[in-house]
Amino acid sequence: MSEIENKIREEARKALESGEISLVIGWGEGSVPFKTTPVFVEKADDVDKLVWNKFCVNNLAVYLPKTARDRKVGIVAKPCDIRSIVTLIQEKQIKRENVFIIALGCGGVADATVPGESTPRQMCLLCEKRQPAIYDVVIGESVPLEEPRAQIIPELLEERQKYWAEQFSKCIRCYACRQVCPACYCRLCFADRVEPRWTARKATADEAWMFHSTRVMHLAGRCIQCGECERVCPVGIPVAELAREMAAVIKANYNYEAGDPKEVAPVLGQFREDDVDPAQHSE
Amino acid sequence: MAEETAVINKRSEEIAEASDEWQPTILGILCNWCSYAGADLAGSARLHYPETIRIIRVPCSGRVDPMFVLKGFQKGFDGVMVLGCHPGDCHYAKGNYYARRRIALVQNLLKSLGIPEERFHFEWVSASEGNRFAQLVTEFTEQIKALGPFEGVAKV
Repeated sequence: MSEIENKIREEARKALESGEISLVIGWGEGSVPFKTTPVFVEKADDVDKLVWNKFCVNNLAVYLPKTARDRKVGIVAKPCDIRSIVTLIQEKQIKRENVFIIALGCGGVADATVPGESTPRQMCLLCEKRQPAIYDVVIGESVPLEEPRAQIIPELLEERQKYWAEQFSKCIRCYACRQVCPACYCRLCFADRVEPRWTARKATADEAWMFHSTRVMHLAGRCIQCGECERVCPVGIPVAELAREMAAVIKANYNYEAGDPKEVAPVLGQFREDDVDPAQHSE
Repeated sequence: MAEETAVINKRSEEIAEASDEWQPTILGILCNWCSYAGADLAGSARLHYPETIRIIRVPCSGRVDPMFVLKGFQKGFDGVMVLGCHPGDCHYAKGNYYARRRIALVQNLLKSLGIPEERFHFEWVSASEGNRFAQLVTEFTEQIKALGPFEGVAKV
């Protein structure tokens, strides 16, 4: 671990000293063990603040649209975070030449809600893309995870409505899921709009249903499944599951994957004449 | 044609006569150029169809934001129906092709959320298909009646 950490610091120092970038976003030591916190390193002397361990969970790409608007920024990123960066570049929120990506190999990060560091996050068990898609420097190697993933939501569709009603009744509408999401960069979110008011600002199950279901729709073909929304949820709603199922449908129907550098247009901004037809054709 | 019309009329009259029974409320989102014109034709041709559908006219099926569908269910409609021009017939050349992807995704999202698929219906209806429009509304109404009232997205 510390060897990788040293390399990250070395690369950050080199880039900062060369004057190529004026900021490196990475993970730093948290206030408690088993936690890290995002750090913003602006001076080469501060690079020792950067750490790398199993608890570097945050998807730091969320800070890029604001910090890399008109300057070049360095970022330490796992392969999933890099998929977010790819999406941000494709959606023209940042320019490729404005990010210096220090990519890391990844063997999954740890679930901080379970003691120790050997329990991987559920989201990591699903990860199929462990190779950094784009990078300037790459450090370490990715390791596959072989553990099967637990089924969180009911498999039977008939049980789903009740399940989600129960889940959404817990929602306190703190919007942490939205704030932590690198794809949720809208300056005015539909949830904050007053006219038209798509969803009232109250913590009832049906308004939360409207908020979360719309959010999943807005993330269609854009969510790279880092699972940050799920991690930050203070009441433990598995919101990422809906986005995950959506991504699976998009892959099956349109052979489109969010965060893949080969995609040229958003999945909902293009069509083919032989697309899947949702019409039921009852004659 | 006349025979077919008579069948649809009979079925929708049966629904209307059973007025003491529960009648569903259906949200219909119709494209102005094809489906709405089709609905208009059904009216001009004096075709009967159940009074269960509440129609919103939109310029194109490409205007149908998936949020309209979600909002319909959140507000407690028993069923939501989206109708647009046949592929290739869009007044704006390709609006319905974009709609097709969005609707396919919102359909799957509703499935993921456990809203019975029978409560959502998407179909292509042209301006000349007045008969078909009346038939679709009749069938969809029967389908929803068989399911019973939608108890809302927050029903535990």
